[in-house]
Amino acid sequence: MKNFAPFLSLLFLAACQRTPPAAPTAPTGPLTIAVPSQGAYLGSYVDFGDTEDDVTIEAIEKYEKLVGKPLAIVASSSYWGEQTFPRENLERITRHGSAPLVYWSPWDKPYEQEKGPDRFSLTAILEGKWDAYIDRWGDGAHAFGKPFFVSFGNEMNGEWFPWSGTFYGGEKGGPEVFQKAWRYVVDRVRARGATNILWVFQANNYSSPQEEWNTARQYYPGKEYVDWLGLSVYGMQFRDGDPHWAEFKGLLDYPYQEITKIDPDKPVMLAEFGVGEFPDFGDKAQWLHDAFAQIPKYPRIKAAIYWHERWQNEDESYSNLRVNSSPQARQAFHEGAANPYWLSEPLFKPMAVPTKKPTERK
Amino acid sequence: MKGLPPLDWSSADMSNRQFIFQDQDGKRWPRLRLAGWILAVLGIAALGLFFTSLFMPVDLPALRDFAELKKQLQAANPAPTIRATDLALQKFLAANHPPRLQPIRPRKAIDANAPIHAAFVDNWNANSLNSLRNHAHQLTHLIPEWLTLISLDGTLTEIEEANLEQFASLAPIILMPTLSNLNGNDWQPEAVESLALAPKSKRQAFARHLVTLLQSVKAGGVVIDWQKMDPTYRPQLSRLINETAAILHEQKLQLWLSVSMSGEMNVFDLDAVADQVDHFVAILQDETTDTDAPGPVASQNWFEGWLSVLMRHGKPEQWIAAIGNYGYDWAANSSKAERLSFADVMSRADHAAVQSAESRAPDDNPTYSYDQKSIAHTVWFLDAVTFLNQYRAALDSGLGGFALDQLGNEDPGVWKAISLAEMPTLTPEALGKLAVLKGDATITSVGQGGVVSVQMEIADGSRQLTLNPDGPLSETYRDFPSYPTLYREGAGDGKSVTLTFDDGPDPEWTPPILDLLKARGIKATFFLIGRSAEEHPDLVQRIVAEGHEIGGHSFTHANLAVATPAQIRLELNVTQRLLESLTGRSTYLFRPPYNADSQPTELADLSAIEIAGGLHYLTVLEDVDPQDWAKPSAETIVERVKTLRAGGNIILLHDGGGDRTQTLAALPKILDYLDARGDRVVPLSELLGMTRDDLNPPLDPKKNTPAYYTSGIGFDVARWLEDFLWLFLAFATVLVTVRSAIILWLAFQNLRRPLEAAPPFFPPLSILIPAHNEGKVIAQTIRSVLRTDYPGEIEVIVVDDGSNDDTLAQAKAIPDPRVKVIYQPNGGKATALQTALATAQHNVLILLDADTQFLSDTLEALVKPLADAKIGAVSGHARVGNRRSFVARCQDLEYVCGFNLDRRAYAEWNCITVVPGAVSAFRREAIVAAGGFNADTLAEDTDLTLAIHRAGYRLTYAPEAVALTEAPETLRTLAKQRFRWAYGTLQCLWKHRDLTFHRDHKALAWFSLPGVWFFQFLLVALAPLIDVLLVQSLIFGQSLAILPYFLIFLTIDLIVALIACHLEGLPYREALRILPMRFLYRPLLSYVVWKAIFKALQGAVVGWGKLHRTASVTAQS
Repeated sequence: MKNFAPFLSLLFLAACQRTPPAAPTAPTGPLTIAVPSQGAYLGSYVDFGDTEDDVTIEAIEKYEKLVGKPLAIVASSSYWGEQTFPRENLERITRHGSAPLVYWSPWDKPYEQEKGPDRFSLTAILEGKWDAYIDRWGDGAHAFGKPFFVSFGNEMNGEWFPWSGTFYGGEKGGPEVFQKAWRYVVDRVRARGATNILWVFQANNYSSPQEEWNTARQYYPGKEYVDWLGLSVYGMQFRDGDPHWAEFKGLLDYPYQEITKIDPDKPVMLAEFGVGEFPDFGDKAQWLHDAFAQIPKYPRIKAAIYWHERWQNEDESYSNLRVNSSPQARQAFHEGAANPYWLSEPLFKPMAVPTKKPTERK
Repeated sequence: MKGLPPLDWSSADMSNRQFIFQDQDGKRWPRLRLAGWILAVLGIAALGLFFTSLFMPVDLPALRDFAELKKQLQAANPAPTIRATDLALQKFLAANHPPRLQPIRPRKAIDANAPIHAAFVDNWNANSLNSLRNHAHQLTHLIPEWLTLISLDGTLTEIEEANLEQFASLAPIILMPTLSNLNGNDWQPEAVESLALAPKSKRQAFARHLVTLLQSVKAGGVVIDWQKMDPTYRPQLSRLINETAAILHEQKLQLWLSVSMSGEMNVFDLDAVADQVDHFVAILQDETTDTDAPGPVASQNWFEGWLSVLMRHGKPEQWIAAIGNYGYDWAANSSKAERLSFADVMSRADHAAVQSAESRAPDDNPTYSYDQKSIAHTVWFLDAVTFLNQYRAALDSGLGGFALDQLGNEDPGVWKAISLAEMPTLTPEALGKLAVLKGDATITSVGQGGVVSVQMEIADGSRQLTLNPDGPLSETYRDFPSYPTLYREGAGDGKSVTLTFDDGPDPEWTPPILDLLKARGIKATFFLIGRSAEEHPDLVQRIVAEGHEIGGHSFTHANLAVATPAQIRLELNVTQRLLESLTGRSTYLFRPPYNADSQPTELADLSAIEIAGGLHYLTVLEDVDPQDWAKPSAETIVERVKTLRAGGNIILLHDGGGDRTQTLAALPKILDYLDARGDRVVPLSELLGMTRDDLNPPLDPKKNTPAYYTSGIGFDVARWLEDFLWLFLAFATVLVTVRSAIILWLAFQNLRRPLEAAPPFFPPLSILIPAHNEGKVIAQTIRSVLRTDYPGEIEVIVVDDGSNDDTLAQAKAIPDPRVKVIYQPNGGKATALQTALATAQHNVLILLDADTQFLSDTLEALVKPLADAKIGAVSGHARVGNRRSFVARCQDLEYVCGFNLDRRAYAEWNCITVVPGAVSAFRREAIVAAGGFNADTLAEDTDLTLAIHRAGYRLTYAPEAVALTEAPETLRTLAKQRFRWAYGTLQCLWKHRDLTFHRDHKALAWFSLPGVWFFQFLLVALAPLIDVLLVQSLIFGQSLAILPYFLIFLTIDLIVALIACHLEGLPYREALRILPMRFLYRPLLSYVVWKAIFKALQGAVVGWGKLHRTASVTAQS
């Protein structure tokens, strides 16, 4: 043992202690996605259709060609209304060489924002009405076996999704309901053996309503239940309402400070970011340029997922968040992503032994 | 000097000896002939049985699914009409009057030349092009697909293989190609928006480029069809249209703007562009799109409502109504409807036995429902009646014309409805024109997938039209017309895909493909060419053993589209019989060579499918064809699969038919890609919901028919025969090469031997000349001998063997005491020689044919080797003296190459097989020891040669002893001569058969005599079979497998000839004659060898070129 010890990292030591001394082989156990020590993962949601789950290799490859770089993370959704585990999407993304990120959103058809809780409400979840589905989903994740990110109930500090605290009593315990539901769901999924999931706690950059009870920290379910912290950072998306252009720095700076205070160690993921093309309001190319230049200045941001979609609004105008909404935007994205800081494939490491903390060793 | 040894001519042995092969009691031949007949009859019967079994169709029981396919289609109660709420229309109309339905009413006549009759055409669809051909005279404008604006930098792209030239000949129809922003299936609005927002210089550059492109195809203008843009950019987009139109107008080109009835109404400022745009093309369809719930494609209500909206912009005649004529089929289990041609719509209704379909208020679009495999389908469609209603409404609103969407999909009645719509009034009589629904050869399809069966029925249908006083025409379909129909199966679940390989098996490419499939655990389907399967049964068996499925791809890879039905049946059946005998399984699968495109458009393509279907085969088409047969790079193959995969699930690759390096390289990448895509690569049977045993059912040994066994044995025998021939060919090639090498080496040895300075040797000579009917040459021959420089004593003994001409007189006329002339009754050459020998006084005998001329130094050279007492006989060097005809010149070369070179070589090893009667010298003791001249063969010289070998003498060759002989000058005489030689040689080989492989006679027994057997008889006899093989390989083009062997043979011939000419001091060009000579000699020699063999079997007695009744004349001195 002594002879080998100098060559083995601390992580491997933990593994060695569990194996007979005669066979100190390299670990072949389950792998998980590593937090990159240098740079950050480049990822995207590529328009996968109305339910955000029509993942095709064609769409991914076309997008990668567009931005000139393979994606380390490919995001897609799993809506509870579909009642399925997106096994094929995960397989497809993994085989493609990317890490999947799944937005696991407890809402029902029609998937329209600002309509409040439906049969998949947090309370229904906590009452156990959806245990079977959660278990099935956990089984699916376990059977899939390879590591992936899950962002459950994202942007909970907003007021457009039915799982926001504002629908559960607001300042009177709304965020606590969310926390309970989160722990409830994660516990159940883990109980099915799905330890391959990395849980992403994805808040909106600014809360809405912007009140103390509704801040991201109020929703945090605890460090045992979260692997990555996450933020949605969108620039201008709509013409209607109160249209105004916002520079990237202001959109990220304060929220970053706030979210990193929740936990001193956990990596941060820009689990969604993007901006529409509104040349009469602001310069999308500049915004993207800023984003790629600014993000590396926040050392704990280890992944950023661009939201590539164009949709039509009720007033028939379009919100065009696509990378190629204009030649300038595409060029800015292309140049920004070309920086080797942005990693084009996931890194893996052996999964840490979950039972004991390595620091307990003397 | 020793006294003359006595010649024992009277030995009983000699006198009683029979002519070799003579059949004394004459029974052999009748017996042989009988046996031959029996064998022939049996053989023909076996062949007949074999061929009968090939024609006797294999009885495939119908497969359950496909026989019932039609039954799966059932009429269903009409589904409740679900109306798509058209928000855009409602919004527009909310502020205005509700649309009022226009009744069909009289109105003023239309100037027939005025309205625009335009049509959209699908550049690649045969039905579309066909319709264009038939109705071009009714069109003024044609709208093909052509340009796209999909790049953010504003450059125009031409759609690949748009093939616009095909429309050039249609003048005076004006070509108005499209300019869209469609990238594959995705709209690219950003490209248009970016251009609209780009600086003026860029916009103008775009317009000028457009002008150049339009002029290059002689177009009259362009139809701009840009969709999904953001209305936010309305001013910029409108500006772009106006600027572009202005630049087009400078070159007399028109700009038509396509406006669909939702988005683009808002996207372009129609009033602002109306001054520049020549025509607006109103897309008056898509009320319900393929992704909506089922509903009318363009109800009359909806159509007229939008018309009223359009009329507020620009001038009415500026608008052209793009009127749809097609249908949608919504299946309950699919999120997207299938677009159908009118013929498809009719065909499905017909096959599902739908009672009727009606078009009436409020939708005024016909519809019906049916079930397929209990899945509910709803069909809505547009036809001639809806066209008539809509076009009339458009004309009533003052529109400038119509654009039919699209050619090939339309109800043929549309072409009558055009003029009906333009007439002032409609009468029931006029409407009668639309009542008959003509069935025609348009191919329709039912179901989804590439596995098809076909029904060829064509029949008319009918519908009833009703004029309503208060609204548009209504109609009721009574009978649906029938069209040739493909029943499709095998679409699978969208994620299942199957691999098929055509044109195998191939010994080079099939095994590595099988290895690869095995390693990846994938089961594919191999469509085998019968002919290749017959050659490589092991590969076929391996394919089946490894779990793959097999299908027939015809026996000869014939183009079945141009084959007769009988031929198609035979191709199918022979392949089936063969696969059954090789694998013990039948196959239901069939893929026609050349025409496996999944969208057959010609009836000829269907005939093979129909016939195959009648025999219960399933025809497997392909829908992902990367065209690997044309040997593109592996990357291209993979890219093509990527592009095509979304549109199909039966991938076609090839494991035969040429160099498949690229296919093999592409295969793993294709599999990786399918994996990455999340596809499952499944056996074909799984796509059909069946098992391999369903599609390749194992034969039940108890139920095998005699035809099964007969065909199996026949295939085996044919294969053995072919294998044997190939083996023999290879063996012969090796032997020929080895023999030629040895001969050349020996000949050189002989040549390099230094001439020993022998002491003078001029013994007295007896020169024996047997002659039979040689009056023309005998005197000259005798004189050539007498003119010799030979210093020793000579006597010339001429024996006239009963000639009918003046031979005797000519010979006697020579006034020289050294010449003795003897006459004897005709008895054959051997007896003539015996006679001469008895007279000869000297110990050294020279033999000379009456037609052969000696040179002055021949005698000296010829007898010189006899100074060595061990030498019993010397062969001289015969050359052709009469090199006048081609045949004779060929023989000259033959003598030079074969006889003299061979003899030179044989002399080295003392294995000369013939010391020719034409020019040779003998020691008398050797002849005596050998038993003298025998008359029991036609080749007394060969006989004597072999006998002298037996007696233990050496035989040698004197190349300097040249004699000029007279060769046959015509093929006929040559054949006669060669037959004599062949027969005589055969007799000698037989007579001296113990010599062959005799251990005491080294080189003779083991080299030269086996050589004669093999090269002069076996090889020559089998040559015709090899020729058949060559012809077959040329016809079926098996990579000209036999050609290398031929080239080897010819090359060796040529080399030998060149060397022989070199030795002989002849010009090298003489050697080239060996090439035509081979082709002349091969059939001739084969003929004489076979004739000799037959004569030998018959036991007939053969004389000097003519048959004698007996050979019992024995010469006695």
